[in-house]
Amino acid sequence: MDPLVAAASVLAAALGIGISTIGPALAQGNAAGKAVEGIARQPEAEGKIRGTLLLCLAFMESLTIYGLVIALVLLFANPFA
Amino acid sequence: MFDFDGTLPLMALQFLILVAVMNAVFFKPLTQAIDERDGFVRVNNSEARERLAQAKRLAEQYEQELATTQKQSQSVIAQAQAEAQKIAQDEISQARRQVQSEVMKAQEELESQKQSAFSALESQVDTLARQILEKLLGATLAS
Amino acid sequence: MHHSSLLLESLTRFSSKPLASLEVGKHLYWQMGGLKVHGQVLITSWVVIGLLVIISVLATRNIKRVPTGLQNLMEYALEFVRDLTKNQIGEKEYRPWVPFIGTLFLFIFVSNWSGALFPWKLISLPEGELAAPTNDINTTVALALCTSLAYFYAGFRKKGLGYFRKYIEPTPVLLPIAILEDFTKPLSLSFRLFGNILADELVVAVLVLLVPLIVPLPVMLLGLFTSGIQALVFATLAGAYIHEALEGHGDGEEAH
Repeated sequence: MDPLVAAASVLAAALGIGISTIGPALAQGNAAGKAVEGIARQPEAEGKIRGTLLLCLAFMESLTIYGLVIALVLLFANPFA
Repeated sequence: MFDFDGTLPLMALQFLILVAVMNAVFFKPLTQAIDERDGFVRVNNSEARERLAQAKRLAEQYEQELATTQKQSQSVIAQAQAEAQKIAQDEISQARRQVQSEVMKAQEELESQKQSAFSALESQVDTLARQILEKLLGATLAS
Repeated sequence: MHHSSLLLESLTRFSSKPLASLEVGKHLYWQMGGLKVHGQVLITSWVVIGLLVIISVLATRNIKRVPTGLQNLMEYALEFVRDLTKNQIGEKEYRPWVPFIGTLFLFIFVSNWSGALFPWKLISLPEGELAAPTNDINTTVALALCTSLAYFYAGFRKKGLGYFRKYIEPTPVLLPIAILEDFTKPLSLSFRLFGNILADELVVAVLVLLVPLIVPLPVMLLGLFTSGIQALVFATLAGAYIHEALEGHGDGEEAH
């Protein structure tokens, strides 16, 4: 592998996963906070809120996972190597 | 890592076969069993509800009967009490009347005795007065 | 792919004993007809399929009115899947889709958990290693394509060629986006599942490399949790896509 390409790939992988974490992190925090507010306002709806929250968190998590997939492509299956 | 090859169609194929097999051995029989049980439970439930309603009706009937008998017994008791009171009053008034009549009789007797004593005394008054006068005046009176 | 484990070999050097090693992108290749296939994925998927079928047969062999043991467990699973499908597709049309979505859920769930719970590492292969079938992109893409086919089939069966009206329904301007959606749906489905399962296994493997004992346990538990959630998400999304195909675009179709 060309050392320049290798260095760029590793850097891109690190930056990619790092940046792709930011948005979902904020979103998950927001969603969890809202869910807690909802539970505080209506404790009897806790089960429903928790289920929905977990599903939503999984969706947001998948955004980070897309970044991770790209990082893995760069590291292990680099098309430019 | 991102190498697509014969695994993909093979996996899709065996997944579709799995769907068919699971439908045959798992989803169909168990869904049927669950539906059957639902029906069974529903029938049982309605039966039980009917029986409950019947029991409630019976209980109501019994309660009504109980209430009527209670009322009857209460009226009987009240009647008996009233009768007893009446009898007691009758007897009391009778006794009082008897007592009164006896008292009257005794008073009358007393009165009559007093009268007879008085009359006896009055009959003796003249002779006694004469005897007293004779004793006082004596001879003068005799002449 | 020949250089795939370069990076992680340097990690492996730190641990004195070969307690665990990380192999990414190595496969046991089988030749089938003119096609190469990943043997280890097929082996684990056969184990998963066999497990599912055997448990189902055992559970339904002697159906009783008052369920006990295995029948109870599988009835719970069936009710769960039915509720999931009913929530997504709706009371009216959910029944024929229960087997598809239910099998999707059960297959992915058992696959994900088998990767963490089954001691695959005890069986050594000439090349590659046994792991959850869902951490291979072929499996997840196959499942996602099956889902795509399923919702196309649902739409066609309900509306015939009128199904294509949904592409130009509000305005024809959105046609490219509507077509693109059909590609992004299986793509996101497959990459979500693949990435999550692979990430779980990688995290556990890296932690095992660093600290072989006890420390990876909580992460493994978290992995079990996310695997279950991912199976649920896959099945839920498949149901939602099928519902969308059945309902048409927006509320305009419901007036029919």
